[in-house]
Amino acid sequence: MNYLRAVIVRELKQIFARPLYIFSSVVMMTICVVFFTTLMTSGSPQRMPVAVVDHDQSSISRRLVHEMEATQSVTVVAVVPTFAEARNMMQHGKIYGFMELPENFYADIVAQRRPQIAFYTTQAYTVGGTTAYKQLLTMANLASGAFQREILRMKGMSEKQIMNIIQPIVLEAHLIANPWSNYPIYLLSTILPGILGVIIVMITVFSIGSELKFSTSPQWLKEANGSFAIAIIGKMLPYTLLFLIMGISCNMLLFRFMHFPVYGSHWGLALNMINFVLAEQCVAIFFIGLLPTLRDALSVGALYSMLSFSLSGFTYPKMGMLPFVQALTNAFPLRHYYLNYVNEALMGASFMQCIPQYVAYICFMFLPFLVFKRLHGAMVNLNFPKK
Amino acid sequence: MSRFSDYISQQSGDLWHVFVTELKRIVRDPGVVLIFFIAGLGYPIVYNLIYWNDTLTDVPVAVVDMDNSPESRRFLHDWEATPDVKISYICYSMQEAELLMKQQKIHGILYIPSDYSRALQTAGAQAHISIYADMSSFLYMKAVYMSANMVMLDEMHNVQIDRYERMGMDDQTAWTLVQGIPYEPVTLFNPDGGYSTFLIPAMLIMILHQTLFFGIGMLAGTAREENETLYFLPNRKRRRSVFRIIGGRALAYFVVYLGITAIDLLLVPRLFHLPHVGNPLTIMSFAIPFLLATIFFSMTVSLTVRNRETGMVTLLATTLIMFFITGVSWPQELLPKFWLYLSYLIPATWGIHGFLHINTMGANLTIAALQYHALWGLAAMYGLLATGGLWLQGYLYEQRQAAKQAAELPDASLQNTDHIVTT
Repeated sequence: MNYLRAVIVRELKQIFARPLYIFSSVVMMTICVVFFTTLMTSGSPQRMPVAVVDHDQSSISRRLVHEMEATQSVTVVAVVPTFAEARNMMQHGKIYGFMELPENFYADIVAQRRPQIAFYTTQAYTVGGTTAYKQLLTMANLASGAFQREILRMKGMSEKQIMNIIQPIVLEAHLIANPWSNYPIYLLSTILPGILGVIIVMITVFSIGSELKFSTSPQWLKEANGSFAIAIIGKMLPYTLLFLIMGISCNMLLFRFMHFPVYGSHWGLALNMINFVLAEQCVAIFFIGLLPTLRDALSVGALYSMLSFSLSGFTYPKMGMLPFVQALTNAFPLRHYYLNYVNEALMGASFMQCIPQYVAYICFMFLPFLVFKRLHGAMVNLNFPKK
Repeated sequence: MSRFSDYISQQSGDLWHVFVTELKRIVRDPGVVLIFFIAGLGYPIVYNLIYWNDTLTDVPVAVVDMDNSPESRRFLHDWEATPDVKISYICYSMQEAELLMKQQKIHGILYIPSDYSRALQTAGAQAHISIYADMSSFLYMKAVYMSANMVMLDEMHNVQIDRYERMGMDDQTAWTLVQGIPYEPVTLFNPDGGYSTFLIPAMLIMILHQTLFFGIGMLAGTAREENETLYFLPNRKRRRSVFRIIGGRALAYFVVYLGITAIDLLLVPRLFHLPHVGNPLTIMSFAIPFLLATIFFSMTVSLTVRNRETGMVTLLATTLIMFFITGVSWPQELLPKFWLYLSYLIPATWGIHGFLHINTMGANLTIAALQYHALWGLAAMYGLLATGGLWLQGYLYEQRQAAKQAAELPDASLQNTDHIVTT
């Protein structure tokens, strides 16, 4: 026990001796949290710039522009006379879509000659393009509805009768656990733990790897009375505590202060975070054990960590990936974190459904045992290249 | 005149020396080779494999049809016919469907109430359908909701025609009324509207940017470990050589990355069927200021890197910030002003937007002039910052050395005077 304390004290001294540790963990995480929580202040895409190509320039085309102005999701930044000009604006990245109103639009409507509206969107930017598409589609349907309303009004029907004819079916959207399709809820609840995961891997690899690089590992082992287990556990414990505090505070921020939905239990979310932190630490120990040269382990750890964001499937779902890539997603703790988060926070599912993920976490925790001998050997003999 | 030509030949000789030295350092360093070549060329392929299917199709959904009428069955049939969803379960209650959703076996539920067909047949009544979408991923919601919405609009037109006919209109009049203002949606660029065709072109630029950033950081850190002043030229007045050092090193990265850029930006989009409507020459001309800006940006930041590994340990997490601040994923128009202005200082921001405009939307350099000039501006700014920073570091180093010598000097001068006295 005394030896464990000695190793912990030694590690704490190292942490505070170099600004790198606190800067790369607490400061970096804070910067990321501030960035991502202030990034999407509007929640959902609003006032996406669009244009109108108005070949008609009648009162009705101006009214259409006016109605588009009144919507939340788009804003008309320009009314231009030609298609080429609007297309050019799109290539400049100034607008995400535009609507083209034909010549004699008004006259054709009145004469019931069925003038055609065209609307163009770009999918080079998916969020802006999709928002513009949805709103322009709605506007086109509203225009058609307004036309019918005028005709029916002339036939002397009441507003309610008209409404029910024009809109005989209503599609009610129930967006489970995220009723306003709020972007931060999709993104932050997984990207912030993902960033914590990157920090855990890099710092863990660095803390062990630099002992090998600067040949201080024999002294480290000596503090632990030669016990590899005490040396590793003692070194990891201060970080485990630090990362847990960071992870749990992050959850508190999202689920308590920002009121992200939680249909299950907060304890379940905390348990998920604890296991995630331990799993990431064990993955990092595995890397430095496999490649006991600091720079190699760091590079591999970095390449691996960056892939976790795509492979956890929280933006692009796993079902759209190739079969062998789908299998690969299991090799990332973030994937299991995300699944448990969905189960616990969004679905309020039973704990039984989280069990496969907890089994996976435990598998990650066994990884260090695979490289135990190799890492111990490297610490004693310092027989790997240092640069 | 001869002194001038001596000067030029000496300068270019130094530049060449630094350039060749740096090239050797790149290829002899396995860590840098891993970042520049393996990551720089491998990541584009890996991301294409991950996002292989491009769009989400056949998302499993459940339906709860309480009406079970020809009308409700027609709606379900039409929905099933869309590529977006696949009806995997037919449930007899909402509880049953909700349980399937909780188990993540389905990602959407369509509920048709028992009065659906009756409401449709009653003139002046409104029928309601409910859609429940899984919000664990934005793309599930998009697939489930948008496809149901399209079917609903179609169905609505049928019902409208039905109702007009029952009001005594003939087929043609009813149809003209319902389709009074027909519309045609056109997707001009990236017409498949796919996820990978949108994301990967932006990622390609990000990969070039970040591999240069961390590779240069690692090279600078290594040099700093070996020699505090970043290997000044031998036998020259030290601080005056900063332009040659910065220039020679930048040229080495530039030459290496010209090849990597050509493969990533020209070959990869063609291999993996990503949008590539841009002119290859335009893309490469645009890449020149992008690479220079990124190289000098990385060299400026790497002035603060003291060890080989610290750059990556400290700054890897900022990759996510750098990607989101560019305003590709979350629209630039919605970025808070502070982040927007900060993003202007990062070469990737201009690089990604310019590349999307050229590669995905077929812009030329006149249309992408803003991004192109901004990148030249950043290249100049960071070039000067990197040079000035290195000069300052050299100056401070010499000051420290001088102070150290001065601290040792009293002894030396004493000895000297002793010596003089004794003679």
